[in-house]
Amino acid sequence: MAFKQASVLPGFNLSFGYTIFWLSLIVILPLTALVVKTTGLDWAHFWSTVSDPRVVATYKVTFGASLLAAVINLFTGLLVAWVLVRYPFPGKRLIDALVDLPFALPTAVAGIALATLYAPNGWIGQWFAAGTPLGNLFGPEGLPLAFQPIGIVIALTFVTLPFVVRTVQPVLADIEQELEEAASSLGATRWQIFRLVILPTLWPALLTGFSLAFARAIGEYGSVIFIAGNMPFKSEITPLMIISKLEQYDYLGATAIAVVMLVVSFALLLAINGLQWWSARRLGRRN
Amino acid sequence: MSIDIRNISKRFGNFVALDNINLDIASGELLALLGPSGCGKTTLLRIIAGLETADAGQILFHGEDTTDKHVSERQVGFVFQHYALFRHMTVFENVAFGLRVRPKQTRPSESEIKRKVHELLELVQLDWLADRYPAQLSGGQRQRIALARALAVEPKVLLLDEPFGALDTKVRKELRRWLRRLHDEVHLTSIFVTHDQEEALEVADRVVVLNKGHIEQVGTPEQVYDTPASPFVYQFLGDVNLFHSRVHQGWAEVGKGRIAAPGAPDAPAIIYVRPHEIDLSRVASGDALHGEINHIRILGATIRLEVDVEGHDAVEVELSRERYSEGGWQVGETVFLTPRTVQVYTPQA
Repeated sequence: MAFKQASVLPGFNLSFGYTIFWLSLIVILPLTALVVKTTGLDWAHFWSTVSDPRVVATYKVTFGASLLAAVINLFTGLLVAWVLVRYPFPGKRLIDALVDLPFALPTAVAGIALATLYAPNGWIGQWFAAGTPLGNLFGPEGLPLAFQPIGIVIALTFVTLPFVVRTVQPVLADIEQELEEAASSLGATRWQIFRLVILPTLWPALLTGFSLAFARAIGEYGSVIFIAGNMPFKSEITPLMIISKLEQYDYLGATAIAVVMLVVSFALLLAINGLQWWSARRLGRRN
Repeated sequence: MSIDIRNISKRFGNFVALDNINLDIASGELLALLGPSGCGKTTLLRIIAGLETADAGQILFHGEDTTDKHVSERQVGFVFQHYALFRHMTVFENVAFGLRVRPKQTRPSESEIKRKVHELLELVQLDWLADRYPAQLSGGQRQRIALARALAVEPKVLLLDEPFGALDTKVRKELRRWLRRLHDEVHLTSIFVTHDQEEALEVADRVVVLNKGHIEQVGTPEQVYDTPASPFVYQFLGDVNLFHSRVHQGWAEVGKGRIAAPGAPDAPAIIYVRPHEIDLSRVASGDALHGEINHIRILGATIRLEVDVEGHDAVEVELSRERYSEGGWQVGETVFLTPRTVQVYTPQA
């Protein structure tokens, strides 16, 4: 395939050049600077920084909590999108606008609000505190929500809520009613129609929403630090490690950790994109 | 299986889509619901399928009331205008869908499904496309696959909603002949909706002409074409010339000539004449209408002449190619027109 193909649309050279220039300036340049800066560190130092047990623990917390939050949003986001698309109800526009609020709110505000709500004496946290009926279900200490890894998941779920909803919503709205009617006339039950007809059509959009939510959660800092409790080896996230290294003027150490995050995130996003490409191909959009 | 439609009515807000429809459909019949858009034909089909609920009335399948049965229990095969194939499934899986979603007890074995699907794909002559996706097929192929998918569940009734509406003329003609042959093979009670009178006349055993939620006429293609029950049916089934006149003692005057209207009461009347049922002559006979040819259009096998008739608008006359060249008609000539067959409607009656 030739790199440039004849097309009736003019301006390929200009627009392609502009795109590359812009991406270089905004994305590739800072990231390259990051990698270049890290090379100031020799391999042994680099390795000892990024494989420090305390740092390794933060990888697990960050990627684990992000994955969990994205999975939760996969289901709840689909549900919210479903309700918003399928049913007419009073206040629908208001609820629709509400979905975007986690985007608009400063993340620190979200973090403080969530920490207040889920603290052992907060509105929600108190129901799960030690000695309460709900708390006793989880053992003698109750279920502490804030200042625990679970608090990180709560904060990330909140912050990444809009992604799945907003990617699935238009696709769901575009599904022709006739497909469901056809399936129904062939004897399929509601559940079979959802599982065999609707879900496969939504897969690419769900995956997109999932990967966006996941990527956003990995980099999230502001809302998490207020609710996480930041206990070493337990509820510290990787971005916090980077900030604390910066505060100690350990710029090289901070960039080293950042490079590890960058590489892992990129690999994960690439894998999800591959999955997406594969499922879109199966939807008959190939030729 | 026979279908009885009893007193079916349906409104959408203030719009009356169907007004008290009664219709009996015999077992094994191929019936066309014909009408202009908005006449309620698709709504009626969807009510029969159970995709829409009627405000009043009953649908009986083989004498049994199915009005409240869900579409998935009615055992109807439904074919949509835009195919509604599942894009993420191969042709094979599309056809197998109806068999795979059956409850475990009645679901056929995998080898049985395979045999059945290939049998159906052979019936629609597309066995070689089994592994393709719908996006890789042409419109005509997609519609045949949709038909095979509908037949896979062994429906008691086949319902087709403008099945050839999205296809180009040539494919449409091929497919409707093929549908007719298929129906002669499987003898399934079938109803199809169309706005194309040619399609209805060619394919159906009986034609139901609908207009504004009413049935105008039910009959064989010959009956509805040759003896239309109302001016609407006359106009809808082919081109027509209208003469507004007054009947006086069995004659309707148009300009210097007059048209025979035997048996019609003395009253204002509308007279319908089909363009191919008019004779042209250069010799004035007693009653012929006077006119002047102002336009000649050659439409393949037929020639259409536009004749300005005295005391009336332009009248269209259609001649076969032979008759046209025998006459040697020219634009600007004075001619005399004699209708062979006319239909007279007196509006009050």
